[in-house]
Amino acid sequence: MATSIVDYKVVARPNHSMSRKETFRVIAVLAIFSLSIATAFSLLGAWLVFPFAGLELLALAYAFHIVLCHADDYESITISGDRLAIEKQHYKSTSQVVLNRYWAQVVLKETPGGEHRLWLRSHDKEFEVGRFMSDRQRLVVASQLKMRTGAVYQGAI
Amino acid sequence: MSTATATHHQDDHHAEHPTGIMRWLTTTNHKDIGTMYLTFSLIMFLLGGLLILAVRAELFQPGMQVMQPEFFNQLIGVHALIMIFAALMPAATGFANWMLPLQLGAPDMALPRLNNWGFWLLPPAAILLLAPFVLALLGIGDGAVATGWTFYAPLSVQGGIGTDFAIFSVHLLGISSVMGSINVLVTIFNMRAPGMTLMKMPIFAWGWMITAFLLIATIPVLAGGVTMLLTDRHFGTHFFDAAGGGDPILFQHLFWFFGHPEVYIVLLPVWGLIPHILTTFSRKPTYGYKAQVYSFWAIGILSVVVWAHHFFTVGLPTPALLYFMYSTMSISLPLAVLFFCWIATMWRGSMTFETPMLFTVGWIILFGIGGLTGLVLADVAADAQYHHSYFVVAHFHYTLFAGGIMGIMAGVYYWLPKMTGHMYNEKLGKLHFWLTTIAFNVTFIPQFFLGLAGMPRRIPDYALQFSEFNMISTVGAFVLGLSQLIFVYNVIRTVRGGEKATDKVWESSVGLEWTLPSPPPYHSFSEQPVIK
Repeated sequence: MATSIVDYKVVARPNHSMSRKETFRVIAVLAIFSLSIATAFSLLGAWLVFPFAGLELLALAYAFHIVLCHADDYESITISGDRLAIEKQHYKSTSQVVLNRYWAQVVLKETPGGEHRLWLRSHDKEFEVGRFMSDRQRLVVASQLKMRTGAVYQGAI
Repeated sequence: MSTATATHHQDDHHAEHPTGIMRWLTTTNHKDIGTMYLTFSLIMFLLGGLLILAVRAELFQPGMQVMQPEFFNQLIGVHALIMIFAALMPAATGFANWMLPLQLGAPDMALPRLNNWGFWLLPPAAILLLAPFVLALLGIGDGAVATGWTFYAPLSVQGGIGTDFAIFSVHLLGISSVMGSINVLVTIFNMRAPGMTLMKMPIFAWGWMITAFLLIATIPVLAGGVTMLLTDRHFGTHFFDAAGGGDPILFQHLFWFFGHPEVYIVLLPVWGLIPHILTTFSRKPTYGYKAQVYSFWAIGILSVVVWAHHFFTVGLPTPALLYFMYSTMSISLPLAVLFFCWIATMWRGSMTFETPMLFTVGWIILFGIGGLTGLVLADVAADAQYHHSYFVVAHFHYTLFAGGIMGIMAGVYYWLPKMTGHMYNEKLGKLHFWLTTIAFNVTFIPQFFLGLAGMPRRIPDYALQFSEFNMISTVGAFVLGLSQLIFVYNVIRTVRGGEKATDKVWESSVGLEWTLPSPPPYHSFSEQPVIK
């Protein structure tokens, strides 16, 4: 039964306990502190402190940059009508894959560490989902998807 | 319609982990890296201890007994560099790696690969520091760095290749520390569990956050200073050469601008872990959480503006002497707040004295002596008398051995059951505590008297009047050194097996780390904890 109403939606995001604004504040405080010291010593003749302070701040900023780049990452799985859409944002690129709900299969595999990885499969193609979910969340989502996709769902109609 | 939102840390960088030697070489797991840091620290602690036992053997009697003065100087310098950079700092970083993600509710450190690189810089740094000893045996060079850990110019400008090796070693150690600090900061700021505001963080995380700030502020100064030293030695510059228009005192400013905060870099993580132990074994909440956090900040800031008290006697102008004296003394105010909070946490608590608590109580008393004798040295007039004497040696060992290493040992006994899943042997732990405490005092109390009587530090021979105290100190040092073998045995025994530890380990332990099994699984939190 095709319908445009969203039957199911799950959005998963990584946890970030600091906002972009707070990150800039932390870097700014450290940069002011460190560069003031380096400037003072440079004025006293120890100018070689400056390049080390600069390199270190660059490394610090880059570390926070890597984390910030992924602050908006997310994964969503949306089922509406006969469409099952998987949307992923990784860094700045967004990708979307649409599967046919009736053909989609939910594949759950256990890793050697005892955790589970989750795929959605259709027409010989597999798409991994659940990177930002805990193992328990992946299991719950897998069982919810199984009830809403493929042969099981068709049988339920 | 059914909708849901999941929020979880991404944790896909080590879904499957290697085994054997590759596990340790390539690991990005915070617990593995923490274990490597702690193991490296223990090995270097024993090695640094061996070096100084040779020194104490020489000082057992007046006259030259077992070594040449040059070798004596090398042993002292390398002992200090090893103990500070390769034993104390890696131990604190080991705890940060093991415990911060567990305490913050994160699956790992924020930058796991950086974490791996940070650790693997340490062994080459240690090899660089020690290699000149071996090279000298092969007839290459004249041994390790012989300037003491302070590298003072112009002595260091004139030294042998050991100084060059030490400079590169310090660079590697500095890079490793900066990598660790960046990782700690990004982890603390970005990976706290939902609901864990900064003021709800475990106090250990606060101690480490300020440590990381200090390292980032001061390591470039040390790196710049030793690089200038290197260019003076080999590239014809005259930064520290008065004959060429340079200033040898500038090196002292550069070194101690790093060197004094370094004391707090070593101590702040310990001050962070002590309240956890006091709370657990006093069965009371931490007294004055906010006061302790603010005191950490106050001490952190003051630590970078007091450096010149280490060289009052070089002829600083009077206003500078007064400024550095009063600013140094002012550190005692926030430190007194910390002591008050630690004692108040114990006050009327249902205290029990398991080994971690014994070490903590001993730590408070002995570190208190270190702090009080520091006040004596902060006084310009008194320092003129005690500078470069054994009083200073005794003071900083009360600060760094009692305040640093004994605090680390308290932490090891406290967290070892959580890390290994086994309880350590309590009798051996208590024996280790009493032997360490008694032998430490037997070693260093006589050194206060030696200093007051005028014995200078860093000399292999001394006047007859100092004989008895030196003899007592040497006996104490050997007992102190041997008693650490009990610690090593107890740790190895615990790692290999023993009574099973419960998840909570201690009756009154509080914090997210105690909600996980003992030992915690390879992936710490498969479920994101939420703090209310």
